[in-house]
Amino acid sequence: MTADIDQQIRTLAVERRLPASHLARWLAMDPVSRAAMLDLVRTLRLRTGQLVTALDTLDEITVREHVTIASVLDRPEIRRIANGSGSTPSRASALLEALRTFRYPLLKKMQEQLRSEVSALKLPRGISIDLPQELGSDELTVSLRVRTGAELTQMLEALDLRRTGLTRIIEMLGGKRGR
Amino acid sequence: MWTVKKEKIDLDSVFVEHGCAESALATRVLRALPPDVPVTHVADAREASRPISGASDPFGAGKRRLVIARRKTPFLMPCPAGSSKFACCGYLVLTLASNCPMDCSYCFLQEYLADNPAFQLYANYTDSFDELDRLAANAHGRSFRVGTGELADSLAFDSLTSISRDLVEFFAARENLTLELKTKTDEIENLLDVDPRGRVLVSWTLSPDHVYRTSEHLTASPAARIAASRAVLDAGYRVAFHFDPLIAYPNAERDYLLLIDQLLDVVPPKQISFISMGGLRMTPRLRSAARSRFPDDPMLCGEDVLSSDGRFRTFTPLRLSLYRALAERFKKAGAEIPTYLCMEPESVHQHVFGGSPDRPATIGQRLARA
Repeated sequence: MTADIDQQIRTLAVERRLPASHLARWLAMDPVSRAAMLDLVRTLRLRTGQLVTALDTLDEITVREHVTIASVLDRPEIRRIANGSGSTPSRASALLEALRTFRYPLLKKMQEQLRSEVSALKLPRGISIDLPQELGSDELTVSLRVRTGAELTQMLEALDLRRTGLTRIIEMLGGKRGR
Repeated sequence: MWTVKKEKIDLDSVFVEHGCAESALATRVLRALPPDVPVTHVADAREASRPISGASDPFGAGKRRLVIARRKTPFLMPCPAGSSKFACCGYLVLTLASNCPMDCSYCFLQEYLADNPAFQLYANYTDSFDELDRLAANAHGRSFRVGTGELADSLAFDSLTSISRDLVEFFAARENLTLELKTKTDEIENLLDVDPRGRVLVSWTLSPDHVYRTSEHLTASPAARIAASRAVLDAGYRVAFHFDPLIAYPNAERDYLLLIDQLLDVVPPKQISFISMGGLRMTPRLRSAARSRFPDDPMLCGEDVLSSDGRFRTFTPLRLSLYRALAERFKKAGAEIPTYLCMEPESVHQHVFGGSPDRPATIGQRLARA
């Protein structure tokens, strides 16, 4: 049975041109994880890049949490995606996003908190705020789109009214605990 | 008495470059090594330093070869971590050895020395004293902090080389130079019978037990490092501590604060010359090398993202909250311990300490005098 699964994995790896290092990692999983992964790859028709990302992310999740890949793939969030009704490509993307949430739990939580803070500012049209990508820096980007001097005055006043909230976001980026 | 710490230095071969065999360093090292380690004399040691082709872990294999050679380039250089992007501390690096017998999973040498991973000890290390004297002569009232712990641990080879004695004696007589011996060992025996006259700092990288057990292979335990720091303090040395790399694993804050409490129980804050902090940072190449050598190390799978300087670092708010927590704990300890952040921009200093950092030269001088 295991030999049959391994052969199917090898065949799929050839079809997808999966890098040898990733195939080796897949074949080194415990038998249940190996099979669960194969099942998921087929169900969601993961493309090569998606498969590589999934294998990398799963590997890091297992190292972080000391769990098997099968146990990660058996979580409700993943089963919901695997058995869901959306299109296959959208479910494949959702899978990678769900894995990333397992891999980066605090980052995801912090991003949600910050987005919620930005949303609470209720910025007028013409002002936008961009958080740093993956919170990889402490730099907040505030953009204004104006056409006239009057619009500029209006925008600056709108920003000034939100000074406290903006400062709080900058402080959160700087490591100060949120509310 | 020479003690070879065999648990750390386990050699397959030694290469001695022509012209070095009669040097004091080679004599000491060869006398201290077990007699069954083969010694080969070579005209040019560069080839012996290179990675062994075909080895499954060329960097690890490099740690089983020792090369004794002349250093042909200057010993003294600015810290290679320095950059205009960061607020730097003005540290000067004195390279007396290359690579390290310990094997921390996150070590930057896995990338930095990937092309010449063998241990290298420089037989002409006393030539560095001429460079240091030239630096001191041109200092015009400035003070410098010079460390040997960048491309090698400052004390890891000391049971073989005893270089620390010569260094301490040299720096003890220089008014405007301070030596920093940076280590993760407790190999301080050679330091205890030399008088540093206040001109030598011994600094330890400190990590919680959890990091030590998962990632800092062959190092002394955190408790042993702290005990060693107390011993050198009592012998007249100044001490400093590097919380670098700071690793943001689950419960890291609790563990680091406990570690600080353990440290301050043994070393009073007023006797700490300075503290440095720096979050774990890895270039993509280093991360890949480290993950490949230590695939099961959870410390290499933190919540790290690619930052603007091209290195993977713990995402910014989490990293900075850890800095803040540690800085706060030291502040509460009641002493103004000079503290700096390594490889972080000015804005991060402002978030953590509420103000701009000094200029590198000022920081360097302050640390040298602290």
